[in-house]
Amino acid sequence: MSDSGRTSETILRVEDLVVKFGLRGQVLTALRGVSLDLREGESLAIVGESGAGKSVFTKCFLGMLDANGWVDSGSIMFEGQDLAKFTTEKEWLRIRGKKIAMVFQDPMTSLNPLRTVGSQISEVLGLHEGLRGDDAKSRTYEILDQVGINDPEMRYRQYPHEFSGGMRQRVVIAIAVACNPKILICDEPTTALDVTIQAQILDLVKRLQEQLGLTIIYITHDLGVVANVADTVAVMYAGDVVEYGSAEEVFYDPRHPYTWALLSSLPQLGIKGQPLYSIRGTPPSLFADIKGDAFAPRNPNALAIDLMERPPYYKVTPTHYARTWLLDPRATPIEPPEAIKAMRAKYKRDAQ
Amino acid sequence: MGSSRQDKFQQLSDGFLALSEEEAERVSSYSDELFRPAEFDTEAAEKAGYSNYSYWGSTLRLFLSNKVSVFLLVFLAALLVFTFVQPYLPNQLHPNTIYQDPETGIHYRNVKPNAKFWFGTNNIGQDLWSRIWSGTRTSLFIGLCVALVTNVVGITLGSIWGYARKWDKLFTEIYNLFDNIPYTVLRMLITFIMRPSLFTMIFVMCLTGWIRMAKYIRNQILIYRDREYNLASRCLGTPALRIVVKNIMPQLVSVIMLQTALCIPDAIGSEVFLTYIGLGLPVSIPSLGNLINEGRLVMLVPAQRYQLFFPVIVVSIITVSFYALGNAFADASDPRNHRR
Amino acid sequence: MTNGAREVLLDVKDLRVEFKIRGRHPFVAVKDVSFEVYKGETFGLVGETGSGKTTIGRAIIRINETADGVIRFRGEKINGEIPKERDRMVTQKIQMIFQDPMASLNERAKVDYIVSEGLYNTKNYKDEADRVAKVEKALLEVGLLPEFASRFPHEFSGGQRQRIGVARALIMEPEFIIADEPISSLDVSIRAQVLNLMSSLQKDKGLTYMFISHDLSVVRFIADRVAVIHRGEIVELAETEELFKYPLHPYTRSLLSAIPTPDPRVEREKRVMVYDPRSHDYSQDKPRFVEIRKGHFVMGNTAELTQYEAMM
Repeated sequence: MSDSGRTSETILRVEDLVVKFGLRGQVLTALRGVSLDLREGESLAIVGESGAGKSVFTKCFLGMLDANGWVDSGSIMFEGQDLAKFTTEKEWLRIRGKKIAMVFQDPMTSLNPLRTVGSQISEVLGLHEGLRGDDAKSRTYEILDQVGINDPEMRYRQYPHEFSGGMRQRVVIAIAVACNPKILICDEPTTALDVTIQAQILDLVKRLQEQLGLTIIYITHDLGVVANVADTVAVMYAGDVVEYGSAEEVFYDPRHPYTWALLSSLPQLGIKGQPLYSIRGTPPSLFADIKGDAFAPRNPNALAIDLMERPPYYKVTPTHYARTWLLDPRATPIEPPEAIKAMRAKYKRDAQ
Repeated sequence: MGSSRQDKFQQLSDGFLALSEEEAERVSSYSDELFRPAEFDTEAAEKAGYSNYSYWGSTLRLFLSNKVSVFLLVFLAALLVFTFVQPYLPNQLHPNTIYQDPETGIHYRNVKPNAKFWFGTNNIGQDLWSRIWSGTRTSLFIGLCVALVTNVVGITLGSIWGYARKWDKLFTEIYNLFDNIPYTVLRMLITFIMRPSLFTMIFVMCLTGWIRMAKYIRNQILIYRDREYNLASRCLGTPALRIVVKNIMPQLVSVIMLQTALCIPDAIGSEVFLTYIGLGLPVSIPSLGNLINEGRLVMLVPAQRYQLFFPVIVVSIITVSFYALGNAFADASDPRNHRR
Repeated sequence: MTNGAREVLLDVKDLRVEFKIRGRHPFVAVKDVSFEVYKGETFGLVGETGSGKTTIGRAIIRINETADGVIRFRGEKINGEIPKERDRMVTQKIQMIFQDPMASLNERAKVDYIVSEGLYNTKNYKDEADRVAKVEKALLEVGLLPEFASRFPHEFSGGQRQRIGVARALIMEPEFIIADEPISSLDVSIRAQVLNLMSSLQKDKGLTYMFISHDLSVVRFIADRVAVIHRGEIVELAETEELFKYPLHPYTRSLLSAIPTPDPRVEREKRVMVYDPRSHDYSQDKPRFVEIRKGHFVMGNTAELTQYEAMM
């Protein structure tokens, strides 16, 4: 995608990535040609429902696709190397934890219950930075402090089950940032946490981003989280990025019918007593080839061409793109749902 | 290109991204008709997302994909069929008859395998070939009876133990009681009291065997008991028995099959052991345990080692086959493996 | 039983639920909880994990045992030891929708059996043809096709499975449905479907809901009255808009400050209040659950109550 309107450098460039899985004798295409640029220092949020391919996408950056999955075509350029072409564990070990790190959803299963928290952080320091013994320990105390865990000396010796959910997630984040990676991927980092803890964890990540100059990718289905943390948003549906833009552009001026549907169906934008805008049906099966726009069968406003050919990316602004035929000048103008129109009106008013 | 089309193309290509020139040209040549709203099919929207996964289908497919298991299954099935068909084949000798040379009257003792006695004879002159198959029949019979009884009793009592909270304590005490008594001592004691016989052997093995199955089932039931779908059934008023049978048991098919498959070689092994310590079946009933025991006695004489080899080979084949098949089936029927 | 103009369907008084832990003191999950649910309303119960909200729901439907207190349904006591007749009445009139559609259906049974399970138990059908008709009707009411009855749960998506769970509850013709986090495990785009379904069913059948959730935005949208629960105690109870406009208890206020909004500018400016339970001094002045304004209850001791009154 063109990067006119952006000033910082692209540190990760994905082009036309196709990922497939072998499942019960059939082939499932989880990613159908995804292209994305990640700028240094930005926070990108990838939104979509389950099965859209968000987790699969980021797992490709770490070589963590399940055993029955493979990269069929496309490239992932990072630091001059194509991650999609990696075949050996050795190649990935230079990237994982060191250059690209990941924080998972459930802190309880991300931590080894049989080892102290401190040793798990020190292990990473030993692996990637060669720190041992007291050097590793003191650096670990620093890191524990950085993530907001008080009394690091005592906490170092404790086991994961002695921590609360939010604290555990801090530990997981500590392990992830211990070696100062360039990119941090957070896969639903707060879904398992209560709302008040969620806010604290997101604040922590933002703070670390500033301190350490991280580039962060958030994967989430929670649009509230996206609104809080994201600079740019990529909306994924059925293995494809259907809309991409800055957070304000995507929330206040969404263009793809799926984004419309997603936003308008939120209870926060609903009017009590009236039915919420809801999307009929379920996402398409990825076993079969998808003809046309993947969202078309569920879209009451689909155009004839939506059912025939997959739309290209249309440009709304130099930083905002959507994969929909609705943006073609020939398209019949379609009204977005009420909630979207209200959002647009609200922000036009505020701007004035 | 005409000027208005060129303008259109220009307009479009400013708005397009990542399209090659031919693609851009193609797209800009589409008629306006295509950009009108299409008919919306509500039912089609609902039908999406159908998966045709079948549990038994996947189980079968996984099982059949393991060539070794299929081979073993066929082989074991053939072996079992042969075991029971053997007496009806022509020219079979009788297991308990002592054969003697019709002319000299000398018993055919310790004859090595030849055309008449395919597996040779033992030291009193009985035909080993027929004895082995007779012994296998007996041992399998014991194994099957024990498997059946321990399954029925073990599953029933294990279910009550696991599901009904108030019985848990009692059962656990009984289990601890049984568990602390060495099985061997118990079996020896009971065999001694009841006198060695086929029934005694089966009884003794069932007595100590049901406990293991019961505990296993109880542990599994504890895992599934408080899952949401079982809570839902309770809210709907479903009686405990139906919850156990219809909700939980189907999930345990895989583990029950495994336990059953392992039970049979275990029974045979126990029988061999009990025979070794002198509490086996009476010598008049050929069994694999008896045969192995007899063979053991002449083990040191190289010329007579065949008397040990043949029964040992049969026991080994049966044991390995049941273990391997049991595990293969358990793996195949575990839904977590069905992804592949 | 009526309270003013509204009929009270469910009345909970001083409810206490404990869980026994071997060798230690029992864990008190719910203590001194009292509230009423009126016929035809949607009563929201909001709290974070471990607050006891699910426990309350399960105590009402008799999955959990109560240690103390009384739960009355239409005036009759339904907790503790009750006659079989009344137990059967509870089974029919009070139903539950569970959180996880992947775990709340019997994977090895057909949808037909799953939806009819309650009917088999109460024998509430004339003959086989009647039963099949009831199943069809229930499936259609939740927006599923009758042909789905011969399929297995794994053939359906999360949203469809949740609707099967609703059909299963509806076929019993209940009066009161406890929905325990019914949409938390669903995809964002499916949640609206299920919420709309629940609303329309309520209008058509005059159902009363208890909607348990940790998500305040959803509760704001769907509930008429909301109770906020923290560590086993209800700290505040009021009509929805009243609660959102005039939150009194510091815990309520902290929850409200943390609600995620899908609006970048609002989120950027958000300041989350952290609730510290130690900020209450209950050593001398004990807290009570008091109706500070009509319909608005809050937990506080005398000093705090005076404060709250001044805030309003």
